[in-house]
Amino acid sequence: MSAGLFLAGLSLNGVSVGYGGRPVLSGLDLPAVAPGSVVALLGANGAGKSTLLKAMAGLGGATGRPAGQIVLNGQDLVGMTLEQRVHAVGYLPQALPQGSSLVAYEAVLSAVRAVRPDTPRDHVEASIERVFDTLGLRPLALRRLRELSGGQRQMIGLAQVLVRNPRLLLLDEPTSALDLRWQLTVLETVRRIADAERSICVIAIHDINLALRFCDHVVVLGHGRVLASGPPTHALDPDVLRHAYGIEARVEQCSRGFRLVLADRALPDAGRAAPPFQ
Amino acid sequence: MSRAQADTADTGAGAAPLARLYGRFVWSRLAIIGVLVAALLVSVLFDVATGPSPLSVADIVTGLLDRSALPRGQAVILWDLRLPFAAMAVLVGAALGLAGAEMQTVLNNPLASPFTLGVSAAATLGASLVIVMDLSVPGIGATYLIPAGAFVFAVGSVMVIQMLARSFGATTDTVVLFGIAMLFAMNALLWLVQYVASTDALQQMVFWTMGSLGRSTWDKVAVVAAVLGVCLPLSMRKVWAMTALRGGEDQAKSFGIPVETLRLRVLLRVSILAAAAVAFVGTIGFIGLVGPHIARLALGEDHRFYLPGSALAGALLLSLASIASKNLIPGLILPVGIVTALVGIPLFMTLILTQGRKL
Repeated sequence: MSAGLFLAGLSLNGVSVGYGGRPVLSGLDLPAVAPGSVVALLGANGAGKSTLLKAMAGLGGATGRPAGQIVLNGQDLVGMTLEQRVHAVGYLPQALPQGSSLVAYEAVLSAVRAVRPDTPRDHVEASIERVFDTLGLRPLALRRLRELSGGQRQMIGLAQVLVRNPRLLLLDEPTSALDLRWQLTVLETVRRIADAERSICVIAIHDINLALRFCDHVVVLGHGRVLASGPPTHALDPDVLRHAYGIEARVEQCSRGFRLVLADRALPDAGRAAPPFQ
Repeated sequence: MSRAQADTADTGAGAAPLARLYGRFVWSRLAIIGVLVAALLVSVLFDVATGPSPLSVADIVTGLLDRSALPRGQAVILWDLRLPFAAMAVLVGAALGLAGAEMQTVLNNPLASPFTLGVSAAATLGASLVIVMDLSVPGIGATYLIPAGAFVFAVGSVMVIQMLARSFGATTDTVVLFGIAMLFAMNALLWLVQYVASTDALQQMVFWTMGSLGRSTWDKVAVVAAVLGVCLPLSMRKVWAMTALRGGEDQAKSFGIPVETLRLRVLLRVSILAAAAVAFVGTIGFIGLVGPHIARLALGEDHRFYLPGSALAGALLLSLASIASKNLIPGLILPVGIVTALVGIPLFMTLILTQGRKL
């Protein structure tokens, strides 16, 4: 990114992340994704989806600072302090909020106050009101987290991220604990927020068909690099799926025009050998 | 999740703004804190009134307003014995309650307390060493040298646990295990010190470790008050970070909260609070464990209410234990440490059995 050039959106340039010298992801590139986009991160378990999201959120921990550039709206996130980054980026960890004695309202309130202690009270109250309404969580507001189901706590976790209205949303498997109806609710909400706020949302997700249905851009990770990247209509084919997941699968088109992945069978380990292509 | 819709009617969270509903909720918590404060005041009054030579409430009020209005003997009992004892019970109880609450939050473990994780034992060992070795430092009287030993060992024990945790990249559960190992190590060393101690020193140590309010003076009350006066505001400055931590460590980190630094600072603060308590009163168990549990049941875990609530619950418990210590055996004031454990265990078991799911 040359100095002074402002490019709205998100792009990755040669991003490498590793644990203790062992690279997990190396030289990742993602061409600019426009504001308002929802990006799906696909890949098998251990492909580096969570690692990449954490690196983007600046929460590498054991991985340390990533190499390369992660550019959001013209600013390199890698060079920012955690404090600066938290203001621009909302990260939803894979772990659900724990079942403590906090009531849901307090869990969301603390997410605002811990980051921005000086926000005027009216503003905070309005933001919380909005996010509880958007996610349909009003009935849970005064319930203790430990009384909530795993799915309900996952929704509270999402509320903690959305309440700060970040420009970049990084969601690590936001639908893992949810039933079908709530999976759709979450993805519809994320889609709506991206459209309305022009924020960018990157979602690590295991359900490929949901990803194809709701996302503008699909990135498939595997073997430490990007195996495929592009719009949902083109990014996936049986070859990519075989290398990424070690499965034999078909990519078909449903009656509404969306792509559908139909997994037929798991291949022996040899089927997941590193692909000859980049 | 369909439960969410079904619950709409019975939670009453219908059309009213959430802020208003939550506001009412906050008021109910403030009312509970008010009840705790009132109960504490009544308890302190009883504590001051009870003893081998009972004082009436009228005498206490008169004596508080004007010392010279009471006969000399009663004035001495009120001002030099009962009041410092009662004040010490409140301050030490509050310090232990606060220390336990903070420790349980940063270690994410409801069994953490200065007592169960060896901090109190380390303080006891430090104090015992000063007694046994008959140490003296010019300019510092024995009254303050023993507490100094307790401080050094309590802070040292936390530093050792932290160092181990850091070098092994330990999780909070491992830190708790280190703490339990620390408890056993400190107790073993304490027994060793007792084994080699002279008879006089041994007697002094045993009496000292039992936990007694009988050594309270206004000087000591002032030191514990100062420690609490410094630690409580520091704790209250971090209430939002601590509250966010109760939502989950990964969540807190994602808000940019430096969890490791927060944990280190809190544990150091806990060691100072625990050392202050142990140094002047001796070993008192259960307050640091049960105080936070009572606060959690009554007030939840928003640390704006939970931390003061734990301090108040701790203060109330020790104040009640102080009253009990004077009444269990007529004519004899038992060491409060014994009574606390005896009163604490049934209370703790009752809490676990009746409210276990909520803990």
